[in-house]
Amino acid sequence: MNQEELLIKKDRMRFIKNKLPANLALLGILFDVFYFVSIYQSDVRDYYYTMMIGASILYNLVFMLACFLSSEGIKNYKGGFAWLLAGLGVGQIVRIFILPAQAHATELKKIGRVMGDRQYAFVVTCLAVSALCCLAAAAIGGYRSSVLKKYQASLETKSA
Amino acid sequence: MAQLRLEHVDKIYDNKVQAVFDFNLDVKDGELIVLVGPSGCGKSTTLRMIAGLEDISRGHLYLDGKNITQTPAKDRDMAMVFQNYALYGHMTVYENMAFSLTLRKEDPNVIHKKVLAAAEILDLTSQLNKKPSQLSGGQRQRVAMGRSIVRNPKVFLFDEPLSNLDAKLRGATRREILLLHKRLGATMLYVTHDQTEALTLADRIVCMSMGHVQQVGTPLELYDSPANLFVASFIGLPPMNFFDVTVAGAELRGKDFQVPLTEQEQKTLSAYQGKEITLGIRPENIVEGGSLSVKVFSNENLGMNTLVHGHLGAARITAKLRGWKSYRQNDVVNVSFQRKHFFDKQTTNAIGREQKA
Repeated sequence: MNQEELLIKKDRMRFIKNKLPANLALLGILFDVFYFVSIYQSDVRDYYYTMMIGASILYNLVFMLACFLSSEGIKNYKGGFAWLLAGLGVGQIVRIFILPAQAHATELKKIGRVMGDRQYAFVVTCLAVSALCCLAAAAIGGYRSSVLKKYQASLETKSA
Repeated sequence: MAQLRLEHVDKIYDNKVQAVFDFNLDVKDGELIVLVGPSGCGKSTTLRMIAGLEDISRGHLYLDGKNITQTPAKDRDMAMVFQNYALYGHMTVYENMAFSLTLRKEDPNVIHKKVLAAAEILDLTSQLNKKPSQLSGGQRQRVAMGRSIVRNPKVFLFDEPLSNLDAKLRGATRREILLLHKRLGATMLYVTHDQTEALTLADRIVCMSMGHVQQVGTPLELYDSPANLFVASFIGLPPMNFFDVTVAGAELRGKDFQVPLTEQEQKTLSAYQGKEITLGIRPENIVEGGSLSVKVFSNENLGMNTLVHGHLGAARITAKLRGWKSYRQNDVVNVSFQRKHFFDKQTTNAIGREQKA
């Protein structure tokens, strides 16, 4: 890509929405949905009626709301939302070690292991992909926002 | 740019209603043609047939010598600007203008250049990030035009683009269209029912009525030498005054008034001696001083001119007199006619127009 094309690409950002990271953030929500639809399935009904499950449900709601807001923010090149997305991505990784890992490690006398290997692999994959999407959205969105910010500053300097 | 030719084009709908009769027109490269006429005269139908949005029932359409009668609208390389703008409300101005090129999968950088160039022409650069709902009517219409410009089509088609704008904005946008035409040098067809738009914009005007072409000519030709009674009555504001008169030697005799004829006019009307004809006088061709007495019933001051409405004998008459006049009801003003137009009573065609042409 030559210098002129690079300049046009930057200039285009003034008018085109930052769609790629925004869509990645939405994809992060989608995989989170896959995760929580799967995580509460269990033959051992009593196991899930704990405070942890209440907190998990609440966090899912907060995650979806925050992720959607960040998606909209990053679509409009608001760099601050990249940090929020990064935080959400890290949060998704941390979540792997809370509910799924605990359930996978727990064995009850009556039925044996609470979460089987297959279910565990699925929910971990969902959270990991969701985390990846959020982190990628944060990285791309943040980078593009800073590029646009610099470009706009240079335009302002020129016009001044 | 492009040349457009319509040959014996008819439009007959499925219910057998014929909207356009034997339409013939040669549009030169870079020409701005205005189709003008009252509502329902077939002007928009003609434009839609050219665009490919309506089938041509009979006849042929040629673009640069190539017959495109059966060519689908998308392959005709024409861009149409509609009365209601037809913008996408959820897209920004930039996205609206870029949309057609994005669909064609053009290079984004090329699209960007074209959109910025069009926005520059239309003075929309500062509006590119706004949604259509944030724009005024005139700006929306400019976006619609911009969407056409970026495609760089062979022919631009405008279907009453200024009808939704208020009078002031209409005037400003009209000037912009004219400027745009000069700048792009593009072939344009423009439909309107507003004769002021037609007169100010057109290189040539096609005046239509009831699906028939009444006259094709320059604005001056239509104004100064209307082909028939319809064109004479349609072009010009305020409209032309008409009187039923009889040719009697060196004068025209109406009910309770006589109008003297010049030698040239007598010659023109030589075949109509003793016959009844229609006399047409534009309000601006009536001047104060003369043998004709007009009994005033109202006057409208326009600043530089005054519109005087009154009666000449039993006939109603409107005169556009120079200056600020303050006539009262029943005042009598003596006037004379300068430029007269004569029309055959039966055919309604202009008399003596052939010799002039």
